[in-house]
Amino acid sequence: MASCENPENGADALMPRTRKYDKSKICVKCKERHGNIVARHTVYCRECFISFFTFKFRRALEPYVNAKPDGPRRKALKPTGNLLIGYSGGIGSAVLMDLVYRHYVHPDSTIVTSEGGKAHPRNERVWEKITVCYVEVSDALPGTKDRTTEIQNVIDQMDGVEFLPIRLQDAFDFAWWNKRGFCPSDPTLGADFSDELLQVQATLTPDIPPLTALRLYLASLPTASALPTAVQTLVRLLLQYTAISMNCSHLLLGTSLTSLAISLIAGISQGGGFHVREEAQEEWLPNCLDTGRAVRIIRPLREIGMKECGVWAWWMHLPIVGREKWHWPGTKPGIGRLTKDFIIGLEKDYPSTVSTIVRTCGKLAPKGDTAGKCVICERPVQTGVQEWKARIAIRASQDEQATWANSSTMTPSLAPYLCYVCLTTFTSKGARAPPPLYSDDSDLGHGLSPLPTWTTSSRLFRAHGTLTVTEDITPDEDEFTVARKLPRSEMRDVVKEFLLDE
Amino acid sequence: MSQSTLSIKVEFGGGLELLFSNQRSHKVSLPSHVPTAPPDANTTSEQGKKESGRPADITYLMYWMRDNLLKEREELFIENGTVRPGILVLVNDTDWELEGEGEYVLQDGDEIVFISTLHGG
Repeated sequence: MASCENPENGADALMPRTRKYDKSKICVKCKERHGNIVARHTVYCRECFISFFTFKFRRALEPYVNAKPDGPRRKALKPTGNLLIGYSGGIGSAVLMDLVYRHYVHPDSTIVTSEGGKAHPRNERVWEKITVCYVEVSDALPGTKDRTTEIQNVIDQMDGVEFLPIRLQDAFDFAWWNKRGFCPSDPTLGADFSDELLQVQATLTPDIPPLTALRLYLASLPTASALPTAVQTLVRLLLQYTAISMNCSHLLLGTSLTSLAISLIAGISQGGGFHVREEAQEEWLPNCLDTGRAVRIIRPLREIGMKECGVWAWWMHLPIVGREKWHWPGTKPGIGRLTKDFIIGLEKDYPSTVSTIVRTCGKLAPKGDTAGKCVICERPVQTGVQEWKARIAIRASQDEQATWANSSTMTPSLAPYLCYVCLTTFTSKGARAPPPLYSDDSDLGHGLSPLPTWTTSSRLFRAHGTLTVTEDITPDEDEFTVARKLPRSEMRDVVKEFLLDE
Repeated sequence: MSQSTLSIKVEFGGGLELLFSNQRSHKVSLPSHVPTAPPDANTTSEQGKKESGRPADITYLMYWMRDNLLKEREELFIENGTVRPGILVLVNDTDWELEGEGEYVLQDGDEIVFISTLHGG
């Protein structure tokens, strides 16, 4: 008789380990040579792997180079602007840089077959100017190493490519911002991260150094998981604004299939389900400019796993500088780190599952309407985020309610203009506060946190340098929203006629 | 007659060399069979204790490297009796998954490459 109880031996039920390749050790493509690599259960020899790898790269990039997608006939690649490549020092960006160089800077005849002769329009240089941008984060994260020189040495080996190093604190550097010709930004504006409404005030001193501003911003974060999320957003936006300032039509990132699966799962775990599409590919228009010119953000390695990238890097003798962990010292690993460990472990035994994660996320359609773009991460804001959050969580202690009751001032709030991820990043506290991020934390002061330059120059804040904003940020509203928390007694008054007697 | 020692070339890529004196290439000599008696308690691997006398394979090489070459943080190299997830192994330029993974019996002159895909980040 069948039993639903646990087996008697009490051992953990484990999925049976299967063989790593489907059929034989012979390459599935040429069917002649002995295989050299197993890529998601499929065996390839070295030669066929190289053509498989470059095919996947081109398939993920070239249909998106022209402003309008290609029809059935492949046309010459004619982008409308320059190219910016985000370089982190990790294996993905090293492989991406190598592939771009071999295809579009100095075509490598061993992997790129030219069609129609050298003079054929199809074989003209695709992007006139290619820049590699590296964002150095070491000033902001304790215990990390400055790798700018190492990365510069790698990029300097590639002629025909420019190197542009920037630093994370440039996100708070108003001189950097103005030099790139963006609309004015108000350096005195800051938000109170200790308050759930993220009230905005214009009380910061305008000459606060960018690095101090960055440290204030990061030190204000409530949890260890919020740190990598906040740093990642700053890096991405710095790359995007650099791209737009350099007339780039495309920004390429070295996110592999494995990295994409990690960022999708970690993002969803942190409330980023509304951004699954943007995580894979995005057509980005800046909040603060009305140019109508967009940057297309593409991840050409999104169909290639980390294992294949590692083998490519080895066979092509690529130098890997490495990248630092964005970790809050003295805390347990955050959601991003735990997700990474899980996905990497999963990929080792069940490599197709990682691909399934990405393909499944590609089929998701976010539910609900969009209410403009977040002023921090510049991704879509789902309508009703705050209302939903208010319904599902206890958000205030008795003491805070008492404080609200005494508060009569109406202060502009940042919260209505944030997506759920950013709102959670800034306001969701853990059970225990993390230790100070910086050992000299006391010198930073604890009050208002500065905001990134693009936030204070977005349309939200652009009403003649004051907080009385009249330009629209959401499709439905023409005025700046002023939010105020209601104390329980006041809430009760509002609904008292509908209350039943106790 | 079988050789008593094997000469193996071990290489590191993707930043894994940082755990091994920052040296990318090592030429090592190791016994062709797992020693029956461990030299001392500190260098005895679990594998050595269990399966002494069997021909040296990659699993044995890993533990030998841990005991003789690894300078820091074992947990970044070995996990649950195999290489940590995210580290690729090539045996003479071929994925070790095609060669039996840790059970591949080492041959004199083999080139074993360990590549990390996890460097930093």
